[in-house]
Amino acid sequence: MTATAAGEPLLEVEDLRVRLRTPRGPASVVNGLSYSVRRGETVAVVGESGSGKSVSVLALLGLLPARVATVTGAARLDGEDLLGMSPERLRQVRGPGVGMVFQDPMTSLNPVLTIGRQLVEGIRAHGEVSKAEARERAAGLLTEVGLPDPERALDRYPHELSGGMRQRVVIAIALSNSPSLLIADEATTALDVTVQAQILDLVEKLRTDHGTGVIWITHDLGVVAGIADRVLVMYGGRCVEDGTVDDVLERPAHPYTRGLLGALPDLATADEGELATIPGTPPAPTDLPTGCVFWPRCPVRGDARCETEQPPLQVVGAGVTKGLPHRAATWCGEGGAR
Amino acid sequence: MTGQPVPQTAPSPDATEAGVRSTQRPPRPRWRETLGLLARNPTAAVAATVLLLIVLMAVFDETLAPAGPNEISVEDRLQAPSWEHPFGTDDLGRDILSRVILGAGVSLRVGFLAVAFALVVGALIGLLAGFYGRWVDDVLMRFMDILFAFPAVLLAIAVLAVRGPGAGNTALAIGIVYIPVFARVTRASVLGVREEVYVRASRSVGASDLRLLTRHVLPNAAPPIIVQTSISLAFAVLAEAALSFLGLGTQPPNPSWGLMLAEGRGFIDIAWWLAFFPGMAIFLTVLCFNLLGDGLRDVLDPRQRTLMAGGGR
Amino acid sequence: MSTVSLGKGGAAAAAHGEVLVSARGLEVHFPVRSGGPLRRTTGVLRAVDGVDLDVYRGETLGLVGESGCGKSTLGNALLRLVPPTGGTVTFDGIDVTALGRKQLRELRRRAGMVFQDPFASLDPRRTVAQTVSEPLEVHGLHPGRQARAARVQELLQLVGLDPAVATRYPHEFSGGQRQRVGIARALAGEPDFLVCDEAIASLDVSIQAQVLNLLRRLQRQLGLTLLFISHDLSAVRHIADRIAVMYLGRVVEVGPAAAVAAGPQMPYTRALLSAVPVPHPELERSRQRIVLRGDVPSPSRVPSGCRFRTRCPDVFEPCPDVDPALQPVGSAPGHVAACHLHGVVGEPVRREQPDSPVDAGDPAARPVA
Repeated sequence: MTATAAGEPLLEVEDLRVRLRTPRGPASVVNGLSYSVRRGETVAVVGESGSGKSVSVLALLGLLPARVATVTGAARLDGEDLLGMSPERLRQVRGPGVGMVFQDPMTSLNPVLTIGRQLVEGIRAHGEVSKAEARERAAGLLTEVGLPDPERALDRYPHELSGGMRQRVVIAIALSNSPSLLIADEATTALDVTVQAQILDLVEKLRTDHGTGVIWITHDLGVVAGIADRVLVMYGGRCVEDGTVDDVLERPAHPYTRGLLGALPDLATADEGELATIPGTPPAPTDLPTGCVFWPRCPVRGDARCETEQPPLQVVGAGVTKGLPHRAATWCGEGGAR
Repeated sequence: MTGQPVPQTAPSPDATEAGVRSTQRPPRPRWRETLGLLARNPTAAVAATVLLLIVLMAVFDETLAPAGPNEISVEDRLQAPSWEHPFGTDDLGRDILSRVILGAGVSLRVGFLAVAFALVVGALIGLLAGFYGRWVDDVLMRFMDILFAFPAVLLAIAVLAVRGPGAGNTALAIGIVYIPVFARVTRASVLGVREEVYVRASRSVGASDLRLLTRHVLPNAAPPIIVQTSISLAFAVLAEAALSFLGLGTQPPNPSWGLMLAEGRGFIDIAWWLAFFPGMAIFLTVLCFNLLGDGLRDVLDPRQRTLMAGGGR
Repeated sequence: MSTVSLGKGGAAAAAHGEVLVSARGLEVHFPVRSGGPLRRTTGVLRAVDGVDLDVYRGETLGLVGESGCGKSTLGNALLRLVPPTGGTVTFDGIDVTALGRKQLRELRRRAGMVFQDPFASLDPRRTVAQTVSEPLEVHGLHPGRQARAARVQELLQLVGLDPAVATRYPHEFSGGQRQRVGIARALAGEPDFLVCDEAIASLDVSIQAQVLNLLRRLQRQLGLTLLFISHDLSAVRHIADRIAVMYLGRVVEVGPAAAVAAGPQMPYTRALLSAVPVPHPELERSRQRIVLRGDVPSPSRVPSGCRFRTRCPDVFEPCPDVDPALQPVGSAPGHVAACHLHGVVGEPVRREQPDSPVDAGDPAARPVA
């Protein structure tokens, strides 16, 4: 791990808001999200289902159906505005600029085409390359993602590969045009821990070798601890805490982050007691509480202000580490005190 | 229309762990939910209403018909539609409107009987074949394949040739033709439901096969079967018309739409209304059954229901 | 097949008492069929392939392993929800593989199962009350409408749900609430034994903790014997008294939870534990992961001898030739592992062609009929 905080900003997101029309009424899925990703930096977006973590990224890339989604705010990739972009330009940007990896590799792979064909198509779609050249590069990519016997793998169909190998193929496709930004949405959630370890190693290598910026969306705080430089904790469509990985995971300031960490069983320590839990369930985006989004489940909620006034993201705890502020959106415990 | 999320309450010391409190709300039966969804689908709703009217017409035919079906009036032969005879009269001077109204009963009765027969036998075969698989499946479905391989009209004609013409036998003939259709649709649906975790879960608490089939598999496999029923009713009405047209179905002088169509054929040059009105009746009924089937397909689609209910994660 | 008896008469038995469920040489093999109309059998998928395992009354046994290792099939085979093709399973001294219809139903009452996906394990067309009371109806427990309704209320309360939700349909609930309904159903027949098959895997982190706590509370309160099947080692470590590790259809290490977690004795267990990420950045950065080579071999092409040898960092000469048996390892009583590093114990591999060269890297070295 090198100090990458000084890298130039690659992606800047300001006050991103996403509203979806649902049969049960409008849903505020993302409510004012601002963050940036620098070159060679890994930003982990953490949250539970319904927190808006996936939607916030799909919205950036114009992947939400315009019929039901209203996206506002600003997002710049390499200085170019993403949200106001024409669909054609967006497609041009998405391929070579941004690589995407989703949870289920089968949804990203075409089952009736060979791995080689899919990789070659991706490579040729965004550059003037001959078929032979593209195939050579495809084999090189598969080697890079650690697929054994890449030449043979090129002629295989997705169903002939194991889940871990498929996900590596999807990563190879995502990397085929050396994107400056890699977005992984629960990319290792369906994989076994030993395979996950292999993939995490691979992503780490890419980041250091190619200076790729990474957005790693996950619910797994263990993975976050291993891979991220910075963490953004989402709850109810809002960022409730952000900062360096050490600040957020070792000195969590928001009661939700604390609850989440407390709810994790620890492999290292023999802990006979009950796990700390967060009572209740996350709020539905159609029915967000007023005030602090977390107050109905908060164990330390105090005065009426929690229920009425939305807390802003404020610098907490030690403040700024490596040029990055540690911030939390909570009324309780100014300065991170319980 | 459908379920709201279970309300969450603020945690209090005595709150249940899951944070669930309930409001006193009566359960909503699935069929009412289905009706509600259907009402939102305009095409299907119109089709269902028209069908309901046709059925009512068939039930109250004696009251509704201005004249008896076989009241012959020689001086009124082949009259064009008028205020007195809105649909005109036929070559024997019978009122066509009355015959169309009374023919509805014949056509629909044969259609319903045929589909009911095919549904019961076919669904049972499909249920057993799909649920038990292996040799049960092989034996039953090969038999269905053989039945299916016969040209439908030929099969129906053969049945009628053996048993003689008449409404009951027409229904039986059409029903036999449609058994494999229901068997296949049911089997395909059951194959999917059979593998559902809730079926395994039920088995894990000791439920018998009979219980699994009646409580879990059949209800969950039903939607495509219901859709098939609606669409098959359209075909059955059409088949009854075709068989009557060929002289194998309903026998004169009883009115049946198909028979009337056949009888009117000879006069198509000089009196179009003889064939036109029964033809329209068949067309309208078949169209409505098909539209209702399509609507049901959409409404009973679990994805649609999940979306409406806001279920899932 | 292993001949080492697990703890019988040993220290572990003394510490844990009576064996409730026991598997010996348990096998679940599935025929692999070719496509096409002939459906010829072209191979055998060895999902469970010679498992020896004891579950003691009143304990929580964690069963871990990666996807495809057969842990779920093993759980199902213990309850005869999947028919075993070899070996024996006994439940409270009764041979499960030879049960008649009536006895099988009694087994279904005495042994319950909680499934992974709470969105799939509840019949969408049946209310919570109908789902939870199904075992009562099947086994004729608490006869009478009112008695049954009262029992359902009691069960819902037991799993932390408001009894008034009985009239609701599953789609009205969140994942955690549905899983509670699933647990209530599994408990309805007052079972002795509960198999939880990845019961928390599809839940949100904050909900996982709720369900883990609930299961632990119920286990103590009702004196249940729990088989907790999971790929999540941290959760297993938290809830289990003992841990069993499975690899490619075989239990390769069993021992007290603390001993297995802190001092794994089989290289696979070591690799598995080292790959579990922990939410501490400092630890994560300094830690050396053991990254295994390649992929798990297909259960239809099981390597000869030790089935982990194709990926094992410590593979040595007896590994392809001797099928390792479970043997006592480490210092903790009842800790056993199947690994030649602790002494070559096990059955030599019999080969059909003795002159054919043995290739340690070939996963197909053991021909499958």
